[in-house]
Order: sequence, then structure tokens, then C-alpha cells
Amino acid sequence: MSSRGGKQKKGNVTSEQEEEEQPLQAVLVADSFNRRFFPISKDQPRALLPLGNVAMIDYTLEFLTSTGVQETFVFCCWMSNKIKDHLLKSKWCRPTSPNVVHIITSDLYRSLGDVLRDVDAKNLVRNDFILVYGDVVSNIDVSQALQEHRHRRKVDKNISVMTMVFKESSPGHKSRCEEDDVIVAMDSKSKRVLHYQKTQGLKKLQFPMNIFQHGSDEFEVRHDLLDCHISICSPQVAELFTDNFDYQTRSDFVRGILVNEEILGNQIHLYVTQDGYGARVSNLQMYDSVSSDMVRRWVYPLTPEANFTDQQGQGCTHSRHNVYRGAEVSLGQGSQMEENVLIGRDTSIGANCRISNSVIGNNCTIGDNVVLDRAYMWNNVHISSNVEIHQSVVCDGAVVKEAVRLNKQCVLAYNVVIGPNLSLPEGTVVSMHHPEEEEEDDDDEFLSDDQEVGHSKDKTRQKAFNPAEVGPEGKGYIWKASMDDTEDEELAQCLWGLVLNPDPESDSESEASEESQDHSRSVSPEIDDVNAFQLEVLGTLQRGLEENIVCDNLVLEINSLKYAYNITLKEVMQILTRVVLEYPFQQQGTQLTTLQYTGSLLPKCNEGQRAETVKE
Amino acid sequence: MELQAVLMAAGGGSRMMDLTYNTPKPLLPVGNKPLIWYPLNLLERVGFEEVIVITTKEVQKMISTDPKTKLDVKMKLDIVCIQEDADMGTADALRHIQQKIKTDILVVSCDLITDAALHEVVDLFRAHNATLSMLMSKAHEFTETVPGQKGKKKTGEQRDFVGVDGTGKRLLFMANEADLDEGLVIRKSIMRKHPRMHIKTGLVDAHLYCLKKSVVDFLADNKSVSSIRGELVPYLVRKQFSKSMTSPNVNDEADQNLKKKDGNANLEIQILSRDEVLLQLTRERSCWNDHRGDMSEAYHGGRLRCYVHIMDEGMCYRVNTLAAYIEANRLAPKLFDEPAVHPSAAISVRCLIGADSIIGASCQISDKASIKRSMIGASTTVREKVKVTNSIIMHGVTIEEGCNIQGSVICSNAVIGRGADIKYCLVGSAQRIEPEAERTNEVIVGTDQLMEI
Repeated sequence: MSSRGGKQKKGNVTSEQEEEEQPLQAVLVADSFNRRFFPISKDQPRALLPLGNVAMIDYTLEFLTSTGVQETFVFCCWMSNKIKDHLLKSKWCRPTSPNVVHIITSDLYRSLGDVLRDVDAKNLVRNDFILVYGDVVSNIDVSQALQEHRHRRKVDKNISVMTMVFKESSPGHKSRCEEDDVIVAMDSKSKRVLHYQKTQGLKKLQFPMNIFQHGSDEFEVRHDLLDCHISICSPQVAELFTDNFDYQTRSDFVRGILVNEEILGNQIHLYVTQDGYGARVSNLQMYDSVSSDMVRRWVYPLTPEANFTDQQGQGCTHSRHNVYRGAEVSLGQGSQMEENVLIGRDTSIGANCRISNSVIGNNCTIGDNVVLDRAYMWNNVHISSNVEIHQSVVCDGAVVKEAVRLNKQCVLAYNVVIGPNLSLPEGTVVSMHHPEEEEEDDDDEFLSDDQEVGHSKDKTRQKAFNPAEVGPEGKGYIWKASMDDTEDEELAQCLWGLVLNPDPESDSESEASEESQDHSRSVSPEIDDVNAFQLEVLGTLQRGLEENIVCDNLVLEINSLKYAYNITLKEVMQILTRVVLEYPFQQQGTQLTTLQYTGSLLPKCNEGQRAETVKE
Repeated sequence: MELQAVLMAAGGGSRMMDLTYNTPKPLLPVGNKPLIWYPLNLLERVGFEEVIVITTKEVQKMISTDPKTKLDVKMKLDIVCIQEDADMGTADALRHIQQKIKTDILVVSCDLITDAALHEVVDLFRAHNATLSMLMSKAHEFTETVPGQKGKKKTGEQRDFVGVDGTGKRLLFMANEADLDEGLVIRKSIMRKHPRMHIKTGLVDAHLYCLKKSVVDFLADNKSVSSIRGELVPYLVRKQFSKSMTSPNVNDEADQNLKKKDGNANLEIQILSRDEVLLQLTRERSCWNDHRGDMSEAYHGGRLRCYVHIMDEGMCYRVNTLAAYIEANRLAPKLFDEPAVHPSAAISVRCLIGADSIIGASCQISDKASIKRSMIGASTTVREKVKVTNSIIMHGVTIEEGCNIQGSVICSNAVIGRGADIKYCLVGSAQRIEPEAERTNEVIVGTDQLMEI
């Protein structure tokens, strides 16, 4: 900016001052508008689920505040009362908070589109704002992206409507969400997004040619980007959502802008950060990887011991191998906390336990000889002795009785009791909600919250628990995605999301076939003309025979074909002779007429050719 | 001997017929040297002692007999002639000389004028044990006015899309706009291995390739490939990412196709054997990797690798159009430091010759002639009061008194009549321009030449 001329500078200073005066605003959407976390999110909205013993929305608000946001609009829908209660108690609603949080609730929001349409209707934003979900964990400094965005808008007269923030991470990275796997084509110089596509399930990536026609001669196709779901939007974004009532999600919007770029003249840019951290907890796989990144301090300064939510008693100590202990933690004799362990306050652990890569909430009790690996236990969980838990989530109030084994990717939802003496197979989800009840209350789910939960609990009690599934003393039902929802894409995906498969081998087959195709294509052109000519001659001959055309006419026709296919005279004779000789054999009954007909054709044709050679 | 050099000099120059009608492309004068001298000089500079030159009988005869086209190179030239009318492509030519090829090869086209550091290309070839490495350069805008071309011709030619990885060296993708009707298609597996691909347009392929010997053997087995640039290079680039074909379960396919498969297998096997055991071991033991991000082995286990060196600056021209020819003539003299005026030229004291002009052997330049930014070929006569600016005059031309020649190309043995005014024209060889003629922006060639088109 300093390199600009003096005159310009003056103008800029005033406009910049104007901008400075306006506080930076953010729109935080504290709802996912999907049911990926069901049945857990039946009892608690996703934004309040604890990650490293802190509600996810607190990370998002901390991120916004640290990038300089002064006014945040939190939009809640599902269980808005809980979110409201949480926020009112938190430090964000204290009078000293640098970030003023407005909570806007409505049960009518069904998508991001609805939220932004409401932003437009209520005229909430006055300037560029940050759009973010309530489950984003990030430490990216967006101010530079914001500066670039503002600069672009100043130079290009409001053409750029959005700047998406991406983090660089190569494919196969742990924190890459397979569902959000995107491919982006961009202009290398202007950082403009030309093409944006989710690659899930695709083998070939196709880019329309018109995106390369913008005068630039250098493009980049990037597959190493992780969508942080943080976007810097111009106020126009809200208007555009209002104008296009069919935009539901951000990808609808991005697609719409890119497709209509020529008509509307709006552009989207991107900002890539190399060292920041940003990820959205969109499924349990992501929950697992973000939690472990958190404990491993990748999101510094947002670390477990920082207690950035400023709550009493939340503090913990950090010691070697990333072991964090809250206040009043007791550890039995012979128990080991190997590495990357976070233990909340007032938790007691029995003797001879082995704990690694796990997060344990407040007020938990853990018995003797327990093995925990990649276990995420929330508050008030009781684990008896001789339990083994691998890569699983245990929600508030759950009880795991003696000698239970949770295999990978199990989920015990709120207040479930399991055991004793049971081994849950991989991927089991146990909940106090009966899977069938979901359909019954499907319609009023968005309308009522707490009341509905209590109501359904009554119902569940009427149904008996299956001891084969949850153990003799167990309470809970095995949760399955209901069958009739398969058409609904969102639900068909499992709670844990897709498993990363490093390099799908299935590619090879299609490659091989493609290769062979390529080959036949590259070989063909030379032979083609001759072949096509031969086919044509054969066709002519057949037609002549069927329709009884005079030989002279056929000769004329074949002679003209010669020019059409650019065939030399010699080749014509070769092919003609071959066709004439082979033709009778191709017919089922070798009729005399065929032979006669073709036989008479040959000399005539020869004659004609000879005459032509003389002419030439 | 690590590399054998092969110079392709049999091209007809089909994109500048007006110039090559009488003089074959390799012998067109650029800065008073035949075009073929430039790639030969390039090779000689980096220390090659022997070059295989593939050319036509005509060119060979002219090189050996005509003193004007004498090549002052010290290298041993092994001239191989191919039939002119056989319509052989560059790959066909390589197949033709397969017996002579004992090592990896460096293929250069005769129309390349560059000051590129060749070792960059060869180093890529060596460092990555590559199958192919090639040279590209940013395309230059031609600034000079081209005779016979009305207005600014938009480079309507279809663009080449070249995809390189994050380092800008590994060649991942190559296609011409013409073949991309359905849009640019990239396989996801490539993007997984090389998540950041730069796609560049506006590059010029210098037609300089380092190729493994196994590729030449592959060509010998695969008769259908006829051009290096058109078929072989795209094939190799594509082939980098396909898995080795282990299951020959395509019995029902045509006989031809089967043969093709054999050819492919052949290539693969040969390349495999080239990856010596020791090299393999080194790679296994070392922590070096060609990429970062994922944990897979170097090169993702691929044995076929293509690399490209893209010149950021410097000179790189392919003289295959009239515009490029004119541009090359303007810039080529900077490549060598020889006296601009040949000692045997007879130059009057009272004429004006700019420092940026070149005068060939036994020229005669008379009084009051003025020559600026031009090249005058051997045995050319320039009479009194002639003004030549920005032009290329080939050998044996006679320019009568008082002519004004500007921005033009005059081919050999032409005669320009007294007082003619020629601007931005191309005068064909042995043409006569009548006195006092005024010609602007024309292509003046003989009638027999027009028939050809």
C-alpha cells in the first residue's frame, strides 16, 4: 500500500478510515442442518458437543474474536435454547467481551440459505463479514485474507463477492474430510476460483474449457486444499441468497456464482494458508482427528491448558508427552498415561490402567485395569474395571460395566448403560432413543426441542432393551440409520464418515481400458480412409444389386467416392477388386446373378479408370 | 559416451513455403549462417563430438558442395539421408537410425535457435533417471511486421496445455486445445499423487528431447508412432500414470491391438531393466523423496518419468514461420561474436552501415548506401543511394540504385530494379522487381510457386 502515489493515498486513507470505523462482523451458524451426529445430537446440539472438554462453539467464537471480529451474529435453530443458555453463561456475554454476540433463534431455518436470507431481510451486515459454522476449530489469522479481499473489492469495483479460506494439506492428510474433498481450479495470478468441485466418488476430473479462456496463461489445479469452511463474504452474498431462493448451501452458492460468472460478473477468490489450522468437525472421523490435533497442540494458542473460555476450574496442567491433568485428578497405582491424554477435573482413575491418545471429561470414574486408546469420554462417565475401549466416543452419563470391550468406532450416546461382559462389534452405536421413534416425530423435530426429548423418553421406556445387544444390565438400543432414509444422501452416510483409503486400486482397470482406447484412436487415422472407402464400396455394390442399378451409374458413384475419401487410383483398383471378389462369398447363397452383376461391374470400372488416367 | 545427439533436419518448412521454395529449411540463412548451424553450434558448445544429422539428399548435396552453406563445425557429422517424399515423421526417422543408437539420445530440431543452458535439461534427465526430458520456453510475441500479413494476426493457433507439478519440473499433462472438446480431463489418481498442478499455456516447445534408449527400441517395435511431438511425447506423458499391464486378458481384441500391447509390455520391461538394481537399492536406503505430503515411496513407484525444463528468460525460437524467421534474424547475431562485416566484402567508404547489420562475404556496397538493422547475404550487390532498413537480403541479390527497402525479405538471386520502393514485402528467389515499382505488404513470388499452393 505504501508504494502508491500520494494523491491516491489520500483517497484511500479516508475510505479505509470509514472501513475501520465499522466493526468487523461475523455470521456464525450454530447448526449443521443435517443429522450426521444423530443420535448424539438428539440430546445436545452439535455446536455444544465437547471437544477437548470445551464446547465446539467456544472454539469458533475464540477464533473469530482473535481475528478481530467485534460483532457476531449467532444463528441457532435446533435446540436453540441450549445454545442460548450456554452463550449467556460464557465469557462472550460478559460486558467486557471484545466481541458482542447477538443470538438470533428461529425454528424456521432449514439451511444456510435460510440464515443468509434472514441476514439480508434483517439488514444485519453493513460490510464484509466472516461466515463460519459453529463447529469450526481454527487458529488461522484471517486478517491478511480480509485485507486481500478488501483490496480486490476496491480495485475491481465489488466484483469479488467471496474469499474462501483454505488450508494447504496434501491428500491423505488426517484432518482432511473425505466428504469435503475438493478440487479447485484457479488463476495463478489473481487467485480467482475458476472451478470448484467435490471429488468424492469421481475418478476423472473434468474442467470445462471456458474457464481457461480468461486471458491468463497460467492456471493451477489444486487437490491439496482443505476447506476450512471459513469464508469472507461481501454484503452482496446475503442479497444473492435472497435473489436465488434455491441456494441452500455454500456449495450451491459457489457453483451458482461460477456458472453465472459471465452473466452476473461476480467472482470468488481463495486464500490459502500454509501454517494455520482450520477444520470443520463434520463427522466423527473429523472429531477424532481434530481432537487429537488439539491435544497435540496443532491449534496453538488454543490448547487445552490455555483455558481460553475463562471458566472456573477448567484449568489443567500440561506435562511431558502432552499429558494434561485437570484439578483433583486421582490416578491409581500402576496406571500409565502414555501420551496425548487430557483428563478433566474431579476424575478418578483406578489402578493399572493404560491410557493413550484419549480425552476424558470431568467427573468421570474409571475402574482398574482399563485400557483406553483413542477414547473420547465426556462428562460423568463411569467405567468399571477390566474395560477396553478403542477409538470410540462415550457421551455424558454413560455407564460401562465390567469386562466390556468397545471395538473401533463405537458410540455410546447419552446415559447408555452397557454390560457387563460384552464386546461391542466395530461401528456399533447405542442410544437411549429407539431408532423407530425418529420417524414418528420426524415432522415436529425442528419445531420442538426439550419437550420432545422428554416426551420420547417416556415412549422408549415402554420398549424393552435387548440384553444380547447391550448386556444383561444394559440400557439402550442399537441405533441404525433408518431404512427409508436411503434416498436422503445426508443420512445414508454413517456417523463416522468415510474411511480414508489411501490409493484406490480400482483405478487401474479403467486406466488400462483407457490406454487401449487411446491406442486404437492414435492408430486409426491412416487406415480409416481406406477402410471406410472399402465399406462404402461394399455398400454401394449391395445397394446396386438390391435396387438393380445400372452398372454405369455405380461406376460413376465409385469414382466420385474416390475423391471423397482421397484415395489413389491404385488403391481404388485394389479395393474394388477385393470387394468384387469377396462379395459373392459374403452372400448366403452364391447366386449366379450376383456373380454376373459384379463381374460385369469390374471391367466397366476398369475402363472408366483407364479413361481417367488418360485424361489426367 | 552418455548421450548421442541426433539432429532432425529433414523438415520441409511447410509453414513458410514462400521462403523454403528454393532453399531447404535447414539452409535458410539466419545472420548469414545456415539455420542448421545454430543447433550444431549449440551441441558443439556443450561438448558433443559427434552428431547424427538426419536430412534429405538435397540438403546433403548442398552442404557438401556449396561453399555458401559450409558449416564451420568441428564435430564429426554423421549425415543420414532419408527420402524426401516418404513423408517420414521424426519418430520414423529415429526408427530409421535405430542401429546407430547405442545410448540415450538427445534429439534436436534444426530450427531451434536458443541460448538455453542445455545442462538443465540433461540434469533433469540424469537426476531423475527420466525417460524423457524436454525443453520449453515462454512464448515470445513477435514485434516485427510480417510481409504479406494484413494487420495484427491473432495467434489463432490452438493453445497447448502443459501441466507440471508444484516444482514446475515434472511433466504431468499435455494436450492441445483441439483435443479437448469435452473439457480438460484429469484422472483423480494423478491429482492424488501430485495434488498441485500448474497448467500453463503460452509455452513454446523447443523440440529438444532427451530420450532413453529404450524409447528408441520401443519405437522400433511400434511402427504406428510417426512423430515425436505429436504422438510419442503425449504417449509417454500419459503412460507415466498407468499401471503396468499385467493381465493380458484382452484376447478378443483385434490382432493389431494385441501387437500394440506387446509393444507396450516391451517398453515397460526395458525400462524396468534400466532401473538398475543398485539404483533401486540407493532409493530404498535413502531418505530422499521427490515429493512431500504423503508417505509413499519416491515417484510413487512409477518407472516412467517425464520432465520438462521451462526457460524463464533467455532466447528460444523455433524458426518455423516467417514471423519467427524475421525475429530470429534480428536476434541471432547476438549469439555469436564475429565481425559484422565479412573481410572479403567490398564496401565503399562513403556508405553508412549500422552496427547492428551483418554483411556477408564478397558483397559489394556502393557509395551513399545506408544499411540499418539488416542482414546482407554473400555476393550481394548494393548500388548507390540504396536504403535498406530492417530487412533480410539473402545471397546473390542485386539492388539497383536509389532503392528503398524496408522491413522486407529478399530471397536469393532476386534483382530489384532502380528506384524501387519496397516495404514489408517478401520477394521470392530470382524475382525481378521492375524499376520505380512501389510495393507494400506483398508477397512477390513466381507463378510456378503459386501453383504449388
